[in-house]
Amino acid sequence: MLQIIIQGLLLSGLYALIAVGFTLIFSVGRVLNLAYGAYLMLGGYAFFYVSQTLGMPKLLGVVAAVAVGVIAGLMKHRFIVKPLKGDMVPVEIATLILAVVLQSAVVLMFGDSSKILHSIIPGVVQVGTVSVPYSNVFAMIVSWTVLIALYLFIRKTHLGRAMQAVSMDQKGAAISGVNPDHVNMMVWGISGGLGALGGVFFASYTQLYPAMWVAPLIIAVAVVIVGGIGSIIGTLIVAHIIGFMEVMTTSLIAPELRGVFTMALIIIVLVVSPKGLFGREEIH
Amino acid sequence: MAILEIENLSAFYGKAQALDGVSFSVEEGEIVGVIGANGAGKSTLLDSIMGMTQTTGAIRLAGADLAGKTTAEIVKMGVGYAPERANLFPYMSVRDNLLVGAYTARDDIERNLEMVHDLFPRLKERSTQETGTQSGGERQMVSVGRALMTSPKLLMVDEPTIGLAPKVCLEIAEVLRRLNKDYGATIIITEQNVNFALTLAERLLVMETGRIRMSGTVEELRENPALTEAYFGH
Ligand SMILES: Nc1ncnc2c1ncn2[C@@H]1O[C@H](COP(=O)(O)OP(=O)(O)OP(=O)(O)O)[C@@H](O)[C@H]1O
Ligand SMILES: [Mg+2]
Repeated sequence: MLQIIIQGLLLSGLYALIAVGFTLIFSVGRVLNLAYGAYLMLGGYAFFYVSQTLGMPKLLGVVAAVAVGVIAGLMKHRFIVKPLKGDMVPVEIATLILAVVLQSAVVLMFGDSSKILHSIIPGVVQVGTVSVPYSNVFAMIVSWTVLIALYLFIRKTHLGRAMQAVSMDQKGAAISGVNPDHVNMMVWGISGGLGALGGVFFASYTQLYPAMWVAPLIIAVAVVIVGGIGSIIGTLIVAHIIGFMEVMTTSLIAPELRGVFTMALIIIVLVVSPKGLFGREEIH
Repeated sequence: MAILEIENLSAFYGKAQALDGVSFSVEEGEIVGVIGANGAGKSTLLDSIMGMTQTTGAIRLAGADLAGKTTAEIVKMGVGYAPERANLFPYMSVRDNLLVGAYTARDDIERNLEMVHDLFPRLKERSTQETGTQSGGERQMVSVGRALMTSPKLLMVDEPTIGLAPKVCLEIAEVLRRLNKDYGATIIITEQNVNFALTLAERLLVMETGRIRMSGTVEELRENPALTEAYFGH
């Protein structure tokens, strides 16, 4: 029981971090970024390269991963989203192709086989009968910190309010002196950084492999569909529902069924409540 | 000095032309009314000043050319706009809507908020209400308030009375008049409701199918028989 609670909390925090970057792009940029998982892959491999291939400090590896994610996001905005003027379907197709291309590039550079990441912080902490790796605790604390910071940023700062404004009414934002293009660019950067950070933690949880962008994408889509696109609080709650569901399935039923209930939940919610349980598309 | 000078302005939506060679200017401290029927091009004129349409011709704000500027830059240069559909942020509070308006005028927030609350006490009472749940009149107030938060040299208000009860129209007219008298605001207001425009504006521009058909002071236009028949409803 304790095992389930602890693992559930750890996994859910990570899922929330992964999903929130995806939410952000949908609500502000109105693009379903199907290549979002690629940020996780890029982040994971950037961390691997800096901290394990080059042998630099782990923290530098995390920073490098986030930087790569931010740059990838900014470039995607500059070279795909902006030229296509946010025209949804072509952007989605182009980004999906990009994810596949990036996967090939990763195979070319790092090979096909999966890699195990060294723990960001070695060692385990004993909670009752359960031993929890420090790395996973670190991942959860960082995830929560980032989510809370992001929430406050969106609610309390001029730039954050501008993001909300663009997500709700582009013309209204523009005549308030907000340049929607700049805000979009910034959101693509933030989303890339969040995804890459999530990728480092996700790869530490599982392993690093070139196709690792698919599973987190499904999680992000699930959280967003069930939570209602755009709600940070909704994202957080649903990430916990899904996280706990997976942990319970894995430890009580069978590990093979892990993703099945997540998919089932997506379909049920889509049918019952297409706008999600916390429903609306604008960030808040 | 002229705050706004417009010379031979034409505007296009794709191939369709919505403004055709419009020229006029607005002096500091004036209230100018733009009247015209549905589709005359009133909103297009204001959108064009905000840099939101394809245009040819010249638009100058206090002598500075607005050509090639983004809407955000034009706001920063001093044009405040309350558009026809308000374009508020429905899931944000009244206060946050106003604060977004202050995006380029952050140093003036306190003073501007005080002015907006002085003009629209209701917005102070309702500062935490989401604008999506407000009445049409309240939304119109937020819209004008948000435009004022940009510290405008020129305020443009597009059909503020549309769909509102006569009493609310009077309230809004009173506020615009006070803005002009007490705060020295320069205002362009568009209206189909000619009587409303008449009670406020010193000078009127009459638009028809993308052109300015006539212009002049209210007294001058009252003497024009064609206009009297079409707009003053005799
Ligand atoms: N986004 C647009 N795309 C294409 N045509 C447009 C667009 N907006 C306006 N028009 C056209 O431009 C012309 C002028 O419209 P505009 O909205 O400026 O008129 P208006 O005077 O504001 O009318 P109303 O009193 O109904 O608001 C109309 O013929 C309209 O159909
Ligand atoms: Mg109009």
